[in-house]
Amino acid sequence: MLSIKDVSMTYKKGNKEALKNINLKIEEGEFTALLGQNGAGKSTLINILAGNVKKTRGEVSIGGYSLDRNELETKKIIGIVPQETGYDFVFTVDEALKKQSGYFGIKDNKAYIDEVLEALYLTEKRSARIRDLSGGMRRRFLIAKALVHKPKILILDEPTAGVDIEMRHTLYDFLVKLHESGTTIILTTHYIEEAEKLCKRIVIIDGGKIIADEPKEELMDAFSRESIIEVSFEDELNLADFDFLSDYHPHIEDKTRLQLKASKKDLSKVFRQLSEKNMEFTNLVVERPKLEDVYLNIIKH
Amino acid sequence: MKNRIFYNRIGFLTLLNKEIHRFMKVPVQTVLAPLIANILYMLIFGGMLQTREVGIEGISYLNFLVPGLATMGAIFASFQNPAFSMISQKFQNTIQDLNSYPISITEKILAFVFGGMFRGVLVGLLTYAATIFFVGYEVEYPLFFLLALTATSFVFASLGLIVGLALDNFEKMNFALAIIITPLTYLGGVFFEISKLPGILSAIKYINPIYPLVNVSRYAYIGVCEGNIVIHVILTMALVISAFLVAAHIFKKGVGIKTV
Repeated sequence: MLSIKDVSMTYKKGNKEALKNINLKIEEGEFTALLGQNGAGKSTLINILAGNVKKTRGEVSIGGYSLDRNELETKKIIGIVPQETGYDFVFTVDEALKKQSGYFGIKDNKAYIDEVLEALYLTEKRSARIRDLSGGMRRRFLIAKALVHKPKILILDEPTAGVDIEMRHTLYDFLVKLHESGTTIILTTHYIEEAEKLCKRIVIIDGGKIIADEPKEELMDAFSRESIIEVSFEDELNLADFDFLSDYHPHIEDKTRLQLKASKKDLSKVFRQLSEKNMEFTNLVVERPKLEDVYLNIIKH
Repeated sequence: MKNRIFYNRIGFLTLLNKEIHRFMKVPVQTVLAPLIANILYMLIFGGMLQTREVGIEGISYLNFLVPGLATMGAIFASFQNPAFSMISQKFQNTIQDLNSYPISITEKILAFVFGGMFRGVLVGLLTYAATIFFVGYEVEYPLFFLLALTATSFVFASLGLIVGLALDNFEKMNFALAIIITPLTYLGGVFFEISKLPGILSAIKYINPIYPLVNVSRYAYIGVCEGNIVIHVILTMALVISAFLVAAHIFKKGVGIKTV
């Protein structure tokens, strides 16, 4: 569906090498997160796909069409939700979506526009000027705008930045349904829990290079060998009392909670040692590291 | 399938419609204001100088002035439409949307140029219509007059597009209007015969693109003009082609809309 081969990009201004030999293949129906710090190269990559940035070298193919030789064909296949919430000051939601359909060669798209507006809870705002919408509504409008031509690939560049938590979850539900209906989705986000919740594949870019590209579960298994065990006690704790657990990096949180790090195979050993010491605890939680921990672990290395 | 010159007719028409829809939404600003300014020129210059000799037998100063004002109205309106459109899209952060449409570069340029041209011709014709009260409705070659306004508007819509792509704010656009377009308009024969200007000021006509455009309009309106009409027509056609080619080159390079 999307193939990026040996793509590099050096900005003429400042001679900054933003992408270094990127290779990425995304198959139809995937839901992929593109993660990375600010300036890592995510937006440059997306802007190359959108036609906003000219790559220095490499090949990009979208839906089997070359970006260099059949650029106009590739436009019909992708929908881009940009990071910036730019909007036209003059037009209403309805007018802007009708025009957007027209740009993609669709003359009468009312039924589908109605459907998209309803799914994004914007029906009531269809006659409002875009400039009068709230920030969250504008984000949803941008998603609607990217969808009017029914793209096979939807690329979202930080679509939930500045959106309140309730609306964020509404958007998650919408994206899940969209993905289930067959749309290939690429999501960049700073909310790692968003990627963890929604995506099946994680691609991490750092310094213009792809440093990790795995299915989410495999990535988490590979980089999260240790679980975090948190044992809560009634009384204040003294770290010296836990020397017998020194192999598991004991650490006291809020005076009464003991935190340990242990691999899966050592979990029962830890519990056994605690029981042998007759230590009465009030609560015990074993937490698998989150994608955020895995991400930070990868970035640091 | 290779990218073609004409690829998406509906997309082109939608973009053109947007360019026209945008200025028609604010007609007071975009059509009425220049029209009022031109009527004021007619009242003030025409009223004060109506007895002035223009050096052409049987032609009053008011008759001389009408095609100049119509051309001037067309120049400013056609220039401002694409220039304002591009700069406001930069200001609104929507300029890069243009890159995501499956519309060929030629179609995109034509949509912006035709949008500006439409506004230019509209203001030019309304200026002419307003002067009917002063000088009557007779035009020597009506179709030629319409074509002259169309060619003028096409040239300046192309220049407006170039300026809109190259500049990034309204101050710079207004600066370009004030120090380039306005002086060239005044020295292009809108209000008086250039040959009557002294020395170097008269010689500016040889490098002023507005001079042949005004004279083609004037010839179409009153049947006579300064200089040779055939040369003016040839120069006008050359301006139409070259302004479009420069705009196309700049657009294709991605100036102002793509990052390299």
